[in-house]
Amino acid sequence: MAEDNVGRIVNGQVVRPKQQLAMVFDLNKCLGCQTCTIACKTLWTREEGMEHMWWATVNTMPGRGTPKDWEAMGGGFQNGAPRAGRLPTSEEFGEAWEFNYDEVFYGGKGEGAALRPQGKPPTWGPNWDEDQGSGDYPNSYYFYLPRICNHCTHPACLEACPRRAIYKRAEDGIVLIDETRCKGYRFCMEACPYKKIYFNHVRTIGQKCIFCFPRVEKGVAPACARQCPGRLRFVGYLDDEKGPIHKLVKQWKVALPLHAERGTEPNVYYVPPLSPARVDADGNVDESKPRIPIEYLRSLLGTEVDGALEMLKAEMAKAKRGEKSELLDTLIVYRWPNQIFPDFTKDPATLEWSRSDTTRKA
Amino acid sequence: MLVKKVSFARDTLLDPGAAPWKQAAMEIVALKGTPLALQPSPYIKAAWKGREIGKIKSVRVQALHNGEEIFFHLEWADATADAKIGNDNAFPDGAALLFPMSGDAPLQTMGSKTQPVNAWQWRADFGEQGKNNVAEGLGTTRVTAVSHITCRGSWRSGAWLLVIARPLAVPDQATEAVQFRPAAATKIALAIWEGSNGERAGVKAFSQAWRVLQLQA
Repeated sequence: MAEDNVGRIVNGQVVRPKQQLAMVFDLNKCLGCQTCTIACKTLWTREEGMEHMWWATVNTMPGRGTPKDWEAMGGGFQNGAPRAGRLPTSEEFGEAWEFNYDEVFYGGKGEGAALRPQGKPPTWGPNWDEDQGSGDYPNSYYFYLPRICNHCTHPACLEACPRRAIYKRAEDGIVLIDETRCKGYRFCMEACPYKKIYFNHVRTIGQKCIFCFPRVEKGVAPACARQCPGRLRFVGYLDDEKGPIHKLVKQWKVALPLHAERGTEPNVYYVPPLSPARVDADGNVDESKPRIPIEYLRSLLGTEVDGALEMLKAEMAKAKRGEKSELLDTLIVYRWPNQIFPDFTKDPATLEWSRSDTTRKA
Repeated sequence: MLVKKVSFARDTLLDPGAAPWKQAAMEIVALKGTPLALQPSPYIKAAWKGREIGKIKSVRVQALHNGEEIFFHLEWADATADAKIGNDNAFPDGAALLFPMSGDAPLQTMGSKTQPVNAWQWRADFGEQGKNNVAEGLGTTRVTAVSHITCRGSWRSGAWLLVIARPLAVPDQATEAVQFRPAAATKIALAIWEGSNGERAGVKAFSQAWRVLQLQA
């Protein structure tokens, strides 16, 4: 409850939960299929006021992301103190477009009617710059970056709220907005350095990813993770030494936090993307220069990214030689769901669900 | 502030432009921004450092009652009518009246556990239904499920005109709303939020001290 200090600084140290749920996303596997974003949308953000919300997003990087240019909007902490951030506009998030479905499906116009957003032509959307990337042919490059709320260990949003309407659960570290306490002040939205909180104009409250807590409480993986056909979204407890999260983050250190310099200790980690070597005008391949510049990956995942990529390459070389690589076996996920979220393998279709699973105070 | 007793109809007194308000005694209440040091989160202190808190510097207040309901008329200069939210980064204009739940309460901290306060809140996007709040300290305001507060606000020519009204006594809210009686006295304070300045929550202009509110018999 809000009375706990989990997530707050007490006596100079952040109060940690008993256990911390975390995710690892292997960026070598993400195709940008958006199944995760739609899984979350159809499950959680279909109500009035939520039309524009995408609690789970996948954006092409390099790219401006969602909301547009979120990385330059401040927030988080600097030298232990809160850093002012700004509120994105509705346009920067990307507004929910109305489409002419009736006209296209039932208007009898055949190919004379095309599905398009109605009203003023939009100038931005949540995935406007998809697949544009960067670089020049033949060395152009991009990768996909899936993002959810990071359920940070020291959440800037939690600390920013003057009403203590955001709390972090002691049992699993999930960060939640108490919708009965929220008054829509939106300091949390300014403070979040990842800009993953949305504003519901109908209810005038903030809303964000809830780590599918009603599902995880019943041993079911979050929808985005369970629906991912790429088997790239690992879910587990950070300190569970038997689980894949601990192995990837703490043991092999190939999974890294995004923008750790923002100071919130996010609990979503990324395995950096390998890329083919650059080719010069004469067709010479330079193995020392990957197409995705290392400087760019360092700016996102920190300087440990060099070591993480080297580790991946070394383990892939091992496997090529016919030796066993526990790291690759972990990343490949031969058996689903047991090897990707071993504690959350229940099939939601086999369980009973009720509305109170989501509306009781968690 | 004396609240004279008049015998006008409810609908007349609810109209900010009606005749009784042209004649009623008026006080100009000076407002100042809430102190940065008292903002209840370190983020707000960091984000508002060096920025002006409390753009609205004064509000004209009048108050009347008709034996059944009490009516407060507020007028303040505001170049922009921020009447609705409309954008993720936009905030509406607002105003509130504050009363100690019983007798007295610390104003600077929005009450305390032993001395709560009752706030009657209007916001430009609320429509006619004002919100009733109880607070026991900074950051603790609780909106009650029931509210008997009626508001009529209109903006024209660079000013908001607002009437906030409520029955004198609300027996079904004995523990969560201040009760008025003719001839009785209590205290009142005011706050105004300038939406275009991003003001909300404790970031507002407020009257720095309680004023005595005396109802005529």
